[in-house]
Amino acid sequence: MNRILFKIAVPAVFILLSLCIASIAAAKQEVYFYNWSEYLPEEVIRQFTKETGIKVIYTTYDSNEAMYAKIRLLDGKGYDLVVPSGYFVNKMGREGLLREIDKSRLNNFKNLDAQHTDRPFDPGNRYSIPYLWGSTGIIVNSAEIDPETVRSWADLWKPEFKGKVLLLNDVRDVFFMSLRVLGLSGNTTNPDEIQQAYDKLVQLMPNVRLFNSDTPRVPYITGEVSIGQIWNGEAFMAAEENEKFVYIYPTEGAILWMDNLVIPKRAENVDNAHALIDFLLRPDIARAICEEIGYASPNREAVKLLDKDIRNNRTIYPTKEDLAGADFQVDIGEAIVIYESWWEKLKTGR
Amino acid sequence: MRRVKTLYVALIYLFLYLPIFVLIASSFNASKYGTRWEGWTLKWYYQIIDSPLLMHAAINTLIIAFLAATLAAVIGTLGAVSLYRWRFAGKKAFEGLLFVIMMSPDIVMAISLLALFIALGIHLGFMSLLLSHITFCLPFVVITVYSRLSGFDSALIEAARDLGAGEWHVFYRIILPLAMPAVLAGWLLSFTLSVDDVIVSFFVTGPSFEILPLRIYSMVRLGVKPEVNALATILFLIPVVFVSFSYFLLKEKKS
Amino acid sequence: MTEKSLFKTATIGLTGAWLGFFVLIPNVMILATSFLQRDEAAFVRLDFTLENYRRILDPVYLQVFGHSAAMALVATMVCLALGYPFAYALARTRPGLRHLLLLLVIIPFWTNSLIRTYAIRSLLATQGVLNKLLLFTGIIDEPLRLLYTGTAVTIGLVYILFPFMVLPLFAVIEKLDTRLLEASADLGAGRFQTFVRVIIPLTMPGIIAGGLLVFLPALGMFYVSDLLGGAKDLLIGNFIKNQFLDARDWPFGAAASVTMTLIMALMLIAYFFSIRKIGKKEIR
Repeated sequence: MNRILFKIAVPAVFILLSLCIASIAAAKQEVYFYNWSEYLPEEVIRQFTKETGIKVIYTTYDSNEAMYAKIRLLDGKGYDLVVPSGYFVNKMGREGLLREIDKSRLNNFKNLDAQHTDRPFDPGNRYSIPYLWGSTGIIVNSAEIDPETVRSWADLWKPEFKGKVLLLNDVRDVFFMSLRVLGLSGNTTNPDEIQQAYDKLVQLMPNVRLFNSDTPRVPYITGEVSIGQIWNGEAFMAAEENEKFVYIYPTEGAILWMDNLVIPKRAENVDNAHALIDFLLRPDIARAICEEIGYASPNREAVKLLDKDIRNNRTIYPTKEDLAGADFQVDIGEAIVIYESWWEKLKTGR
Repeated sequence: MRRVKTLYVALIYLFLYLPIFVLIASSFNASKYGTRWEGWTLKWYYQIIDSPLLMHAAINTLIIAFLAATLAAVIGTLGAVSLYRWRFAGKKAFEGLLFVIMMSPDIVMAISLLALFIALGIHLGFMSLLLSHITFCLPFVVITVYSRLSGFDSALIEAARDLGAGEWHVFYRIILPLAMPAVLAGWLLSFTLSVDDVIVSFFVTGPSFEILPLRIYSMVRLGVKPEVNALATILFLIPVVFVSFSYFLLKEKKS
Repeated sequence: MTEKSLFKTATIGLTGAWLGFFVLIPNVMILATSFLQRDEAAFVRLDFTLENYRRILDPVYLQVFGHSAAMALVATMVCLALGYPFAYALARTRPGLRHLLLLLVIIPFWTNSLIRTYAIRSLLATQGVLNKLLLFTGIIDEPLRLLYTGTAVTIGLVYILFPFMVLPLFAVIEKLDTRLLEASADLGAGRFQTFVRVIIPLTMPGIIAGGLLVFLPALGMFYVSDLLGGAKDLLIGNFIKNQFLDARDWPFGAAASVTMTLIMALMLIAYFFSIRKIGKKEIR
């Protein structure tokens, strides 16, 4: 009898103790940073705490959708700094989930490249500060396919690529591509156009060996597929592993995305969040982040500090011509339900 | 015949351990992307020890898994005994709810539990995580224990009752010892489930309490960072050392 | 109050309260959600509708369900076929060794299943360990295209869920009364007959428990299919997750979850019912 009681009592005491510890910890200067996983070097956090004395409680998420569901359910409370992609800044701002950013407190805001500020998803940067950006394009294994013959998204439909194509496992990325091949806007909300994109994709399916949004470079590196969609950062890493991989900006236009720092409406440490944003905008810090994470920084002063090889690498820093026709994804509201149902049909239709 | 049996068992163990060995071997591989062998290294281990965030999350994970498995084993065993011993109002509902836990897709359980915790004002973190983990482990314990109990001859229990033993005595002296292997099995399954869960944990935990599966999940998915292999190896070895230690300790005591 | 009722009340009360609180209430919320309407900003709008259930009747979703069930069933059968003799052999070793061997079954599962899925992926890859081994030994001349096929998905599921089959089987087989087997032999039954007529019926609770513990989780394990099968098929788990996160259509996702639970429950009830019927016939 006593032994059983003991077995129950020990965990109970444990729980109480941990609760006490948690409540004591709440009294210090801190900032709750909710970021994409593997999107900030730990070194940067340590340096920030050393310089300002503010403790960073850092947690991560893996998709805009999951982050949004959680922030929404918590009603914008509990986190001080979050990093949604452009089209989610759009949505969250409109729904009143975000707090306006006081740019007069950001001494380093001027370091940002003007071509990356004042974007359509957040005019005048009311709610968001650009963090990192990148593109979705085509990767080709030049040992098997001559990269000169691949110019556009439409080339993926060529019959000779049967069973050799990888697509990202993401409804928006796949439909965006198909819509652009048809000459339509990748952000359309017109049901007929979405259906046309579906019909076009059905013809592509025999070429598709797999869908993957986890680490898309791996199937290319291990030789399972030889051509398909990829993010530029992943393509850069694939090329680091083997030079035969070439990243191509398709003529119809690559898909662009930008991740941005925002402060949720009911954040509790607003001052500290501003301090952290300003710190992340410092050229030396932005450079360290860019070099470690491998995606492009919108920070002009930081880019100047970069290694020449990286700065001139078109995979990471495309030229103006590369980006002709390229477009950001924007929030499509209710239309996502239509996309989703065609996506389901695409995957079950075989 | 005997040799066939041994061979068969050995083959199954090979199947179970081969991926683990591949994993452990690659944790010592100097190659950054692990596609080919580039020589021995310990640098991935140094990087992990160097990361307080990871170490902290690892400790949190083991605490949660241990507590969740233990409490689920206790509550689940009581549940299995209730189902086995007694008829009571709502017994069918009881069974139905256990079934529902196993059927619920992770995301459905995650969002409904999060909504419940918010409604109740339970602080997101240690407590919400523990409650959720116990809940999704429960049916695994109940089913394992119940399947063992259900074949027993209830005459033994009736005899004890006739001799004047109380319910508590019957439970403690007869049922529990008989069920013990299944209770342990249930504990082991629960520990496994807890260490593995990503989706429910993602939603019900708060910023002040991070656990490892979330980190691992994203590290594997987004980075294929070689540190992950080292981390998995450590995480694999800690319980192994712990268990074999207590195993030999127990053996010593017995002899 | 007598001691009997105190222990009984406390036991049933504790487990019942737990289930009521953390399972019944959340699931009632899900059930309620399935009759509401989608809302772009607040997830659900409080307008009653049956539209979500009407949408589920689309044959596409029947296909999704059928495919998931078939995949889970194959994995369960393979687990049972591999696991039963294994559990039997384990339960017949000497007691000291027995529990150590059992522990060895579970230990690999203390590493994260995603990492193990990746390990299997590198094992099965076209240039992976398995193909290199088979090529080297001359068993095959050309690398097998295992990855991104149904076989790879089955291997992955069996690997991940194996202990969930073995542990309940072991718990049941271990306490099998050997005297019954002797009695069966004494009465002239052959080994096979003893196995079919005595051992299998006696270990049925373990087979059912193991089957459930493998089948039900397998239905939801979409990431195995995504990683090893190439994500070309939509499974129930993918579908519901997409509804909740990507499409943010909680009512539809909830309706799908409720429907799936109902179908599974009906199938299980039908199954148990038919076993009982067959059992009765035999006794007669």
